[in-house]
Amino acid sequence: MGFRVYKDNREFIKALEAYDDLVIIQQEVDWDLEMGAIVRRVCEKKSAAPYFKKIQDYPGFEALGAPLATYKRLAIAMGMNPEATVLEISDEYVRRTTGETVKPVIVEKKKAPCKENIWMGKEADLFKLPGPMVHDGDGGRYLATWHFVVSKDPDTGAVNWGMYRQMVFDEKTMVGPVLPFSDMGKMFYGKYVPKNQPMPFATVIGCDPLSGVAACAPSPIPEDEFTGMLMGSPVELVKCETNDLYVPAQAEIIIEGEVIPGIQIEEAPFGEYTGYRTSPREPRTVYRVSAITFRNNPIITVSNMGVPTDEGQLLRSFSLGLEMRKLLESQGIPITGVFMWPESTHHLVVVGVRPAYSGIASQIANLVFGSKLSPWFTMVVVVDHETDIYNKDEVIHALCTKCHPIRGIRKYEQAPGTPLYPFADPEDRKWSRGSQVLFDCLFPLDWPKALVPIKVSFNNVYPKEIQDKVLKNWKSYGFKD
Amino acid sequence: MAKKEYDTFILTELEEFPEDQEMEIIVRDLTPEDRRYKYRSAYVLAKISKSESKYPDRLWVRLGRGQLQEKPWSIQIIKEVNKFA
Repeated sequence: MGFRVYKDNREFIKALEAYDDLVIIQQEVDWDLEMGAIVRRVCEKKSAAPYFKKIQDYPGFEALGAPLATYKRLAIAMGMNPEATVLEISDEYVRRTTGETVKPVIVEKKKAPCKENIWMGKEADLFKLPGPMVHDGDGGRYLATWHFVVSKDPDTGAVNWGMYRQMVFDEKTMVGPVLPFSDMGKMFYGKYVPKNQPMPFATVIGCDPLSGVAACAPSPIPEDEFTGMLMGSPVELVKCETNDLYVPAQAEIIIEGEVIPGIQIEEAPFGEYTGYRTSPREPRTVYRVSAITFRNNPIITVSNMGVPTDEGQLLRSFSLGLEMRKLLESQGIPITGVFMWPESTHHLVVVGVRPAYSGIASQIANLVFGSKLSPWFTMVVVVDHETDIYNKDEVIHALCTKCHPIRGIRKYEQAPGTPLYPFADPEDRKWSRGSQVLFDCLFPLDWPKALVPIKVSFNNVYPKEIQDKVLKNWKSYGFKD
Repeated sequence: MAKKEYDTFILTELEEFPEDQEMEIIVRDLTPEDRRYKYRSAYVLAKISKSESKYPDRLWVRLGRGQLQEKPWSIQIIKEVNKFA
């Protein structure tokens, strides 16, 4: 296999410590804003992950903040060199997730650490878990910020793991947005609600890092099998106590219950992945809790969405971009790469391509805007194969010099969107309406060769022997870099 | 006995918010006996005044994006409404 796999959150925490990417906080912290503020500052400074050993009012519980908010932590989660480049991590991710899927294995309850404690009935009380008040002004305490929700298609039996935020409403109730174009949205509103049937769910908090990566990935492969592909071995699952769903046996906390049709209650506001509180407080999907199971001394995971960079932005950018890479490669488009900067809050896609024929930028935009991934981004920038898509300076230079301010820009209107776009007007947010735009940064192929501008750079306008001489003598000239 | 404190999110214009009539709203408990239950939400039947002193408990007001208003209102909770009975 050739890479390290962390079977649970605890092994991952040890790895972060070993790679000097963890701050162990022994001092007691308050779940009411203090913990959220620490995690927020960690995200903004790209600091080491905070590991909270003592949480006020909740002895015995611990928390890990910003578990995957940097590429270094993603590389560690993938069992790679922590200094691996984004391209190296991307290539490894694509390599592992292409080909045969790896089906999960079922383990007995007695071998599942997540069953060490079981609360049923009245004992299954959400306020007995240290759900943080993440940002001042949020609509409630968000127990589920870095987690996933398991659900199952009633007709096909297909399992979905997805990250759907959940706000604690009362002892037995959580509430959160389930957008109609999401996998769970199609399942619940398309299949359960018309029959007035509750939908079983299980919320998984504190999973192994690669299950979290898989739950973020917009792949057509079922996430439990996708996790196995990323791990190179099957993920271990165990059956829930009150429904027939299966959850990772090594997870820290499982919340079981039903998503209820026919009633919605108010949720939000919440600090969102765009770096704003945008979507309104409004009636949203209701989860009623039937059981809570957890490991001894459970460690919750806490993400704090806001201005970049948090794990939502980083991982969604990473996996959305790579799914688009797979899509474009599957269509035979001669791309050289796809990248979404996390700082764009996954709204901007940069695609590098060999400009083999006219209209190739529009073809790329049509494909990615036409895919099911499209509500999550609004801008596509197509650059040539000589532009380093991971280098912001190069992409901005290409955008500002090669994209004609009128002919190079193509607008796509009446697109699906989300209520979370900060730039959308209130009516667009209400109906999840979006708009998209292509920035074509390729010089037209029909220009006479002699009229195509020549890029003036060290690598491009000096003979090789001069470049070699300058590079060889660089230090002797007196330069230190 | 210290006043209990709640907050609520008002999604309409504050000027248009009706006072002194029984209405159903969602409040969050900011001063529970057991601090673990802070921010517990509930649908309640209540009367509300923009005067801080009219009703027994204090009600802090937030707008739809969480903006806290400077001055609290007051509230009399008549009963909790169970939406899941």
